[in-house]
Amino acid sequence: MKYYDKITPDGTKDLLFDECVLRSKVTQTLTEMFRSRGYRQVITPVIEFYDVFGKSAYFPPENMYKLMDNSGRLMVLRPDCTIPIVRLMATRLKNIPMPVRLYYCHNVYRVSHDMRGKSNEIYQTGVELIGSSSLHSDLEIVELAASGLSEISGDKYRIELCHIGYFKSLIDSLDTDDDTKEEIRCNVEQKNYAALNDLLEQFNESPAATALKYLPRLFGGEEVFAKAYELFSSNGAADSLDYLRSIYESLRELGLADRVIIDLGLVNQAEYYTGIIFRGYFSGLGEPVLSGGRYDNLISDFGLPIPAIGFAFNVDLATEKSRGMALEGQAPDILVFSVEERLPEAINYIKTLTQNGLTVENCVLDDYDQAVAYAKKRGISQIHVMDEEIEIIQLGEGQGR
Amino acid sequence: MKPIRIALTKGRLEQDSVQMFQQLGYDCTALREKGRKLIFPVGNANMEIVLAKAADVVTYVENGVCDIGVVGKDTIMEMGGTFYEVADLGFGKCRFALAVPMGVDFYKGYHTRRIASKYVNVSRSFFEKKEMDVEIVKIEGSVELAPILGLSDAIVDIVETGTTLKENGLIIQEFLGEISARLIVNIASLKLRKEEIDTFISKIEHYLGTEV
Repeated sequence: MKYYDKITPDGTKDLLFDECVLRSKVTQTLTEMFRSRGYRQVITPVIEFYDVFGKSAYFPPENMYKLMDNSGRLMVLRPDCTIPIVRLMATRLKNIPMPVRLYYCHNVYRVSHDMRGKSNEIYQTGVELIGSSSLHSDLEIVELAASGLSEISGDKYRIELCHIGYFKSLIDSLDTDDDTKEEIRCNVEQKNYAALNDLLEQFNESPAATALKYLPRLFGGEEVFAKAYELFSSNGAADSLDYLRSIYESLRELGLADRVIIDLGLVNQAEYYTGIIFRGYFSGLGEPVLSGGRYDNLISDFGLPIPAIGFAFNVDLATEKSRGMALEGQAPDILVFSVEERLPEAINYIKTLTQNGLTVENCVLDDYDQAVAYAKKRGISQIHVMDEEIEIIQLGEGQGR
Repeated sequence: MKPIRIALTKGRLEQDSVQMFQQLGYDCTALREKGRKLIFPVGNANMEIVLAKAADVVTYVENGVCDIGVVGKDTIMEMGGTFYEVADLGFGKCRFALAVPMGVDFYKGYHTRRIASKYVNVSRSFFEKKEMDVEIVKIEGSVELAPILGLSDAIVDIVETGTTLKENGLIIQEFLGEISARLIVNIASLKLRKEEIDTFISKIEHYLGTEV
């Protein structure tokens, strides 16, 4: 029998010391911002009933960790933070005055391909603004996402923005079956120009098909709008573009024009999202560090028709980026060594020191020479020896480490 | 600015890609005198080329350590993954085929077929679509050997001319799909370095005659 008692499961890892400090810092930076804008924290369980996620097609069962409770009911480790909040809204919070602003800091669990460099345990922090479908709320959320990205990366980020309505207007104008529509959507998402062209051949030169062929290329700056209007503006497409444009204009007024990319081909999770969709990128990272959008139908899946919008940061990725952030010294400032008779006194002394903002370790060795050796190894520069009186010993810079 | 990094699949696709790049005006002389180097600068552009095995090209591009990759559709179909597949480069053409021993009726009888292939995911999804339960055995090379030795009823493999199959007493039962070299791009790279990558893609599309 082989014991797996010395390794962590695939796609997970232990975080040590500085990694924890950095993660907390990034999380704190973001959550403080969320709180200052009126968002309140919720914590939902890490295990949920399978049905919470299984009723929708957004979470394929093969990508969820499953377990069983004592009654044989199927449970999952949550693969997403929004659905549990949706469940919460449809039940305990259904009578809360709207709109509601919530934030969370949670691990999510997703079974991904082995050995492809992906984590299966992802630490996320994000917000949901529930009960409003106004332009105000869309702008608030996108701006909040941009502020978060900028807070962590300085200016080295981009945020891409789409309105799924444009794609939906196009695809609904095609007279074809759902499988073909889904295939078209996949090829738009993957910007697979070649396959998309072949697939759309059958629709001759219908305006919607022509626009769909061009859709994966509709990304960039402001110029995208003109091209998109020109390609297709019936069947509600113009409304979606108008709306997206007004958000873009507001973001420009906020000085974010350089940071924002319009990509009308951002059509992943087209069923989940109903309005604007956005993702955030840091330069040097190969995958989005933030993703979000409007999901007006999700809560009604749980029986309550309430509009909502939100986003989630992948904190682990964001942390990777801020690895350069200055860290406070990892070693404590002082080691307090005490003779046995004076232990209570030493504890009180340590408390006094820490109240002044110092980091102080209590020495648990009973031999002074060992204490010095330990302090040197640990990089502590001062030992306070507690006896008849307190003696302060400087170990000097650079010793030990 | 960091150079745009392109991963090429070693071997035939590499030669065809380099030839295409040269014709587009990119100076690839560094690739001719390889030595022990692994990264090769493009002489007259802010780009560099790395050589890798097909599957690694996908992994590098997906993780964003390479911005662009040239890799066969066979590898993409087998591995899946998240990236943009922006162009069919037209070279490295071949097909996926289901091949069976000559004179055998593959679909006759009720027993569960055993399929040997290097491409287990491609095989699995092909038979899933046919609503057939099959047993798939992974074979790393010379898959034709498996039915000869009696390990499997058929094979799924890439076929160019079919000569190797014929020489080993196998015939093509049916084709699963067309394969050729594809240009893939990391999703973040395309957004963050749009100008440079767009220029590169347009040149290729112009060369292939597929511009929109």
